Amino acid sequence: MSRTSAHDARASGIPAMLWGAFVILAVASWPASAQRDTTKKKTPSDSARIADSIAVVRELERIRAEPRAHDPGQQQPPPGAPSNPRMLPDISAVGDLIGDLSPKGSTQEGGERFSVREVEVALQAAVDPYFRGDVFFGVSDLEKISIEQAYLTATSLPWGLEVRLGRYLMPVGKQNTTHRHDLHTVDYPYALQRFLGDEGLKGTGIYASKIFAPFGFYQEIIVTAVDRFGEPTPGLVTIDPVNKQLSGLGYSARLRNYWDLSQASNIELSFSGITGKREQPVLGGDPTLGTPARQSVVGTDFTYRWRPLQQGLYKSFILQAELLQQLNEQDPTLELPDGVSPDGLLYGGPTRNFTGGYAFARYQLTRRGYLGARFDSFQDEGANGSATNAVSGYLEFFPSEFSKLMVGYERYSPAEGSATNRILLQATFALGPHKPHPF
Amino acid sequence: MFLHRLTKHVALGAALVASPNAGVSTAQAQLKVVTSTTDLYDIAKAVGGDKITATHIGEGYQDPHFVEAKPSFVLQLRNADVWAFVGLDLEIGWMPLLLQGARNPKLQPGQPGYVDASRVIAVLDGARGNVDRSQGDVHPLGNPHYWLDPENGRRIAKLFQDTFAKLDPKNATMYDANAKAFTQRLDAAERTWQPDLAKIKGQPVVAWHTSWRYFAEYTGMNIVGFMEPKPGVPPSPAHLAGLIQTMKQAGAKVIVMEPFYDKKTADFVASKTGAKVLVLSPSVGGTKGLNDYIQLMTSGIQQLAAAL
Repeated sequence: MSRTSAHDARASGIPAMLWGAFVILAVASWPASAQRDTTKKKTPSDSARIADSIAVVRELERIRAEPRAHDPGQQQPPPGAPSNPRMLPDISAVGDLIGDLSPKGSTQEGGERFSVREVEVALQAAVDPYFRGDVFFGVSDLEKISIEQAYLTATSLPWGLEVRLGRYLMPVGKQNTTHRHDLHTVDYPYALQRFLGDEGLKGTGIYASKIFAPFGFYQEIIVTAVDRFGEPTPGLVTIDPVNKQLSGLGYSARLRNYWDLSQASNIELSFSGITGKREQPVLGGDPTLGTPARQSVVGTDFTYRWRPLQQGLYKSFILQAELLQQLNEQDPTLELPDGVSPDGLLYGGPTRNFTGGYAFARYQLTRRGYLGARFDSFQDEGANGSATNAVSGYLEFFPSEFSKLMVGYERYSPAEGSATNRILLQATFALGPHKPHPF
Repeated sequence: MFLHRLTKHVALGAALVASPNAGVSTAQAQLKVVTSTTDLYDIAKAVGGDKITATHIGEGYQDPHFVEAKPSFVLQLRNADVWAFVGLDLEIGWMPLLLQGARNPKLQPGQPGYVDASRVIAVLDGARGNVDRSQGDVHPLGNPHYWLDPENGRRIAKLFQDTFAKLDPKNATMYDANAKAFTQRLDAAERTWQPDLAKIKGQPVVAWHTSWRYFAEYTGMNIVGFMEPKPGVPPSPAHLAGLIQTMKQAGAKVIVMEPFYDKKTADFVASKTGAKVLVLSPSVGGTKGLNDYIQLMTSGIQQLAAAL
C-alpha cells in the first residue's frame, strides 16, 4: 500500500481495530508466506526471525485459547475482594399490580379495575458493628408515600436476644408478618383485615425476641411495646390520646413453637396476643367524639409444610390456619371534654367479642405453578356478629423467583345481603438484590 | 454476711448465664462447625477430625439454591463456632434468614467463624460488564459450584485448617496433619483417575445447569450446551429443539444432570438424540454410597467415562 493510499484509508475512518487485526493477521500469516517463498535462500537471521514469528503466533493462539478468567481484559476480582466496596445499602423495589374483573364492579378500595396497588421500596444494610437498618417505603395512589417499616435491629446482644426499635409488622398471627405482596392470596384473610387492619398491623416501638429450646424443639418468644394498637380511627377525636397513659400503649406477645416431623415436613403452632386502647365512637352527641376503650386480639395459628428435599423444586404443600378472637371492653368509662354532659351519651363501640379465622392450603403443581384455596369466616361487627364467609381459589405462576402472576376467584357471602363474586388478577415483580425466600 | 453470700450467688449465676460455655470441660470443648453443604461438611470433618462436631444444612440430593430456612437450622447455628458456606450467592435465598435468626455474634461477617469458602477459590464465570436478571438467575460474583474441582477441594481443606487452627490453636498440629492426610488421599485418588480423564477429555456433553463448569474444567469434558436456556430457567420447547440440533451437530452422547431436576425432560432430549442421561450427584450424599468428597469425585469421573 502506498503512503498516499494508506493516508486515504486512515482519512476514510478505518477503525484502529481493523488496523490491529490487519497487523495480527500479517504476523499470523508470516510463517506460511515464508514457507511458500522457496526461491529465497534462508540465512541464520532469517531462521531466527521465522522462529520468533512462530513463537509469537503460538503465544497469540495460547492467549486466545485460555479460559476467560485468565484473560487480562476479563479479570476477576481477587479472592476476598469486597463485592460492595462503596458500602451501598441493598436497594430493592417490589411492584404490586392488581386487576379486578368482578362482574358487579371493582371491589378495590379506590374502585379501580386495574391499579398499581403499591410499590414498596426497601433500603437495607448493616449500620455499624452493632445494628442493622431496614427501611421500607410504601408508595400508592391512595396513600402516597408512607413509611411502611423502618427499624434498627441490634445484632450483637448477648443471650441470643434480638431487639428492634422502630416500625415493623406486628408479630401477631402468622400471615400478618408477611408483606402483602408476598402472600399467596391477593389480600390478607378477612379475619386479619377486620381485627388487625386491611394492610396488616404495624406498630412503632420496641420489639424483643428470644430463642430457646428447653424441650428440644425451636421456641421463640417475641414481645413488643408500641405507640398504639393499630391506626387511629378516622373521624374520631378523643379528649386525650389513647396512649396518654402507658396502659394505653399497644403490647403484644407471641410464642412460636416449631417441630420438624421429618426432613420433608414440619409444623408450627404458635400463640399471639395484643392489647391496647383504641378510639371508639360515642353516640348521641358530636359524631366526631370518641372515647378510649381497651381492645385485645388473641389467637393461635398452625402451619404444616411438606417439601420433599430431592423433588423440592417441583412439589410442595402448605396447610395453614389461624383463629383469632377480638376482645372488646364493653362498658368503658366515657372520657368527655370539659363541659360536655354525659347525659344522653352512649358508648358506641363494640359491646361483644368477635371471632374469626381462615384455613388456607396450597399445592405445587409444577416447578412454577401452584394451586391454592382459602376459606374465611368471621363474626361481622356490622351484622351484630353474624358470620360472613368467603371461599376463594388461586392459581399462581412464578416465571422466576422475581415475578409472580396470579388469578383468583372468590365468592364472598356477607352476613347480611347477597353473595358477590370476585375475579382478581395480580402481578408482582421484584427489582434489586436477591432476597431470602420467606419461610 | 447474708448480703455477702447473696451477692456471691448472684454474681456466680450472672457469670454462668453470661457465658454459655462456662463449666464446659476440655473434653467437650470441640469446635462446633455448621456448613451449608455436605461437601464442605465432609472436608471440614476430614480436617477437624474428632476435635470438631460438624453438621450441615443442605443435603447432597437437594438443590442448594433452594434450601428452606427452617427454624430448626437456626438452633444449629445458635451455638456454632464456625459457619462455613460456599458463597458467591449460592445460599443467598436462605442463609441471611438463618444467620439473622441465629443471633450468634461469632458467625457475623468479619468474624473468624464466618467462613466464606469462595474467597480461596479461583472463580469461573464472573460477570463481565452489565449484568441483570434478563440473563437468568446469574451469580454476578462467579459460578459457585467450585467444589467439583479437586484443586478447590484442597484449597477448602487448607482454609479449614487455617480457620480451625486460629480458633483452636492448641490442636493446630492435628489440623495440619489431617489436612495433609486429606490432600495425600486426594492426590492418590487423582492418580487413579487418569485413564478415565483421558477418555473424558474433549468429549462433547450437555449439562442441565452450570453446576458442572468446574468439573468440566478439570476433566476436560466439553459442555456444548445446557438444558437450561439461562441459569435457573426451566427448559422451553424452543430451547430444547435448538439443543437437540446442537447435540446432533456436536455428537454429544451424554446429558449430565443432578438428581433434583426433572429427568423426564432430559429423557425426552436423549430419545431424540440417542444420548444417555447420566444422573450425577453434585454433592456428597447425593446418591447412596457417596459418603465422602473423594468418593464423590471418583464416582463422577468413573460414571462419566463409562457413559462416553
